[in-house]
Amino acid sequence: MPETKIQLGSASDKAIVAEHLCKVFNVAKGMLRRTKTQVMAVKDVSFEVGYGELFGLVGPNGAGKTTTIKMLTTMLIPTSGKATVLGYDVQKQVTQVRERIGIVLGGERGLYTRVNAVDNLRYFADLYGVPVNVRDKRIKELLMLMGLWDRARDRVETYSKGMKQRLHLARGLINDPELIFMDEPTIGLDPEMARDTRDLIQQLVKKGKTVLLTTHYMFEADELCKRVAIIRNGEIVALDTPSGLKKYVRDASVVEVEGFGITDKEVARFKETRDVLSVSADLGESKQVLRIQTPKGSEIISEVQEILKNSRIYDIKIKEPTLEDAYLRLVTT
Amino acid sequence: MPQVLRVIYSAFRMAMLHWIADPQWVIPNIIAPFIFTAVALTLFQGSTGPFGLYAVLGGGMMGMWGNTLYSSGYAIEFEKWQGTLEEVIVAPSKLMHVITGRSISNALFGLVNMIAVLVIAALGFKIQLGIANPLLFTASLVLTLLSVSALGLIFASAFVLSRSAQALTNGLEIPLYIISGSMFPVALLPFWIHPAAYILGPTWGIDAIRLATSQDYASQTFWTGMNWNTAILLDLTIMSLITLGYAALATALFKKVETRARTQGTLVEA
Amino acid sequence: MNYSKNLRVFLSSAVFSYRAQFSWLNPTMWLTMKLILTLSQMAFFVFVGLFIRGPSVIPFIAIGNALQTVSWNTVFSVVNITSHDKWDGTLPLVLATPASRLPLFIGRAMVHVFDGMLSVVISFAFAAFIFGVDFGQANTLALTLTVLLTALTMAGFGLLIGGLSFYFREPLIFANIFLFTLLIFCGINFPVQDLPQFIQPFSYVIPLTYGVSAARSSIAGATLLDITPLLGQQLIVGLASIVLGYAFFRSFENVARKTGRIEAV
Repeated sequence: MPETKIQLGSASDKAIVAEHLCKVFNVAKGMLRRTKTQVMAVKDVSFEVGYGELFGLVGPNGAGKTTTIKMLTTMLIPTSGKATVLGYDVQKQVTQVRERIGIVLGGERGLYTRVNAVDNLRYFADLYGVPVNVRDKRIKELLMLMGLWDRARDRVETYSKGMKQRLHLARGLINDPELIFMDEPTIGLDPEMARDTRDLIQQLVKKGKTVLLTTHYMFEADELCKRVAIIRNGEIVALDTPSGLKKYVRDASVVEVEGFGITDKEVARFKETRDVLSVSADLGESKQVLRIQTPKGSEIISEVQEILKNSRIYDIKIKEPTLEDAYLRLVTT
Repeated sequence: MPQVLRVIYSAFRMAMLHWIADPQWVIPNIIAPFIFTAVALTLFQGSTGPFGLYAVLGGGMMGMWGNTLYSSGYAIEFEKWQGTLEEVIVAPSKLMHVITGRSISNALFGLVNMIAVLVIAALGFKIQLGIANPLLFTASLVLTLLSVSALGLIFASAFVLSRSAQALTNGLEIPLYIISGSMFPVALLPFWIHPAAYILGPTWGIDAIRLATSQDYASQTFWTGMNWNTAILLDLTIMSLITLGYAALATALFKKVETRARTQGTLVEA
Repeated sequence: MNYSKNLRVFLSSAVFSYRAQFSWLNPTMWLTMKLILTLSQMAFFVFVGLFIRGPSVIPFIAIGNALQTVSWNTVFSVVNITSHDKWDGTLPLVLATPASRLPLFIGRAMVHVFDGMLSVVISFAFAAFIFGVDFGQANTLALTLTVLLTALTMAGFGLLIGGLSFYFREPLIFANIFLFTLLIFCGINFPVQDLPQFIQPFSYVIPLTYGVSAARSSIAGATLLDITPLLGQQLIVGLASIVLGYAFFRSFENVARKTGRIEAV
């Protein structure tokens, strides 16, 4: 772990520094005889996020993603370990952290449903001390950005799930934060809105903001995040760029070749080729299909063409390993 | 506007918006004060004496108590039920300031009872109420409101910290009406209860309010024989000091509430 | 509307909180609360009466409030009927035969009848030892029967309140208000005659009114024979309210069966 100096009151060179964060909950069960057990939600989590980075935290349910975010956003006090956000200690400089970050937790709760969107945003704007001369303008901008302006005066209880999620996003941005934490930001959104949300997140980063998000959707983490941390049972099992993580499962690449005039001879030649892990062939009368497992992925195509130069190739499909493959490999072993 | 006042006002406004959305929920909180006042009004029939003072003002006072005890007491729980407690805690503003706004609005809505009683008293019982000193009356009312609100903060934090405290709420209601001298002079109570009356800020407040309303109250005030204005100012000073004490206690309790929320993850009694 | 949340909010107010916590409070807490509530209610009205009308009204008010404590238990009858939790997913129960449900209701009501009587006895103790009410002349038999009958008829009266409350959008608010108004209608703190003429008939359809009157007489020394007319009227009113209440109940049940919903409005 590189040495990190926490300078009180001034920015360190990282947006987020988490050092051996740990969180243990005391849970009392039962109505009549209350038995106390301890649940270790987060065992040991350490990582750093740079300024202007889009960082992803992925993991199965109960892995500790939400707990980690809550510790970083001052919602929870760590049982042990330290963290700084934008250079401020999350335990000793709580107010400074809270002023500068945005939090989007999402879900059905977290909004005042008997009141309309404008009043919800205005309330939080006041709590965050958004300058009064800017407040109403910003509320309108955010609601327009989220496509909620024409329903802005309706009670939130009349909103669909997707609309509520968008209102959560608006609320997370109300104080124009430098750093935004998002817990599953596109969950429950229809594909179009989800895509717009992802675009918005990328725009935020382009503007120089830092974003830490958690997600279940691997393709989303792949598309958006510069680096991804995979968390399992309260610990980080891998932290790398998406392509770096995919290298764990390079052997998952499959090249599928569909052609005519392919015989056992060619299959044998493939098997002897370097970097080919296995070949399975379906040699039919009118069509033959080869499935070649290789870590080289699309790089194998030139050899495919060479070996099959006397046959006809109708189609080549390449299944590159996805982040999901990497995730599943890392989380289930 | 300083940020603290802005937060308090914003929370107050939010509470008002909720009240407008569901005005009927104030009823269970003030039904006891209302009925109790109606009984007093009926008992007052045919007797001479300052019943306007006691029935109407006392009714208002009890309304403030009732609504504060039950609404402010549950102010933090309300956020939990809405699912907004985490978002509110994690905002840079202090939770106590947010709840203060709510508490003030609750005390204010308790005055609804006073208006209801005033209407009935005027129509049904032909009581006339004039105010001798409107300025001091208003000042006394506002300061009493703040004192009740401060108590509301104590209720709000205590009820979240302890289930037993919550259970005691209902036991508290009527004793508060009695001890604060809302509907009859404190002097009527056994002497050993008097100290309890004196540490309640609003007891002094209601005395000041009655003094500012009518001369008829002369014989029953704490400060018999003293100059009018001095008596009122004494009441208000004592009440303000007590209110500051409440605020200090509330600050300590709220700190505990937040620490517990951030340690346990939810506000669950240990 | 989020009923369970509103129920919880509602449970915060005086009467219902007291009762709702009945189920999980430990016995000491429950008894403490009972003592505090009965004493403070009596004390409040005694002092108000003392202030306005003088010491002579103390026995009248003390006894009135003592009997009135029985009606807080009536609440349970109401809550049993209107509680949403009972109805959720219990359409089969709704469709059960009436014959099986009335005994069920009666069985549960017995607990509250006993609880109510206990409240009254505790209140009498406060009246005697703290407020100096003289029980020296009291006719024990007459008084006991009065208290028992009052508790029973008021439990039945709860059925009527429950049935009526379905007409309102917020049944529990209606029930709450109704129960508090008993303090005004039933001759608890002042004679029924003190009320405006047009209101007085309402007093006489409530069993409690007769019970309070009979109790005052018994404590003053009246015999069972003396108070029989009052008890008889109380019984009639009580039975009538059970019948009426049950009728309302069944009519709403029919609506629920037809529409598959609980609310009649």
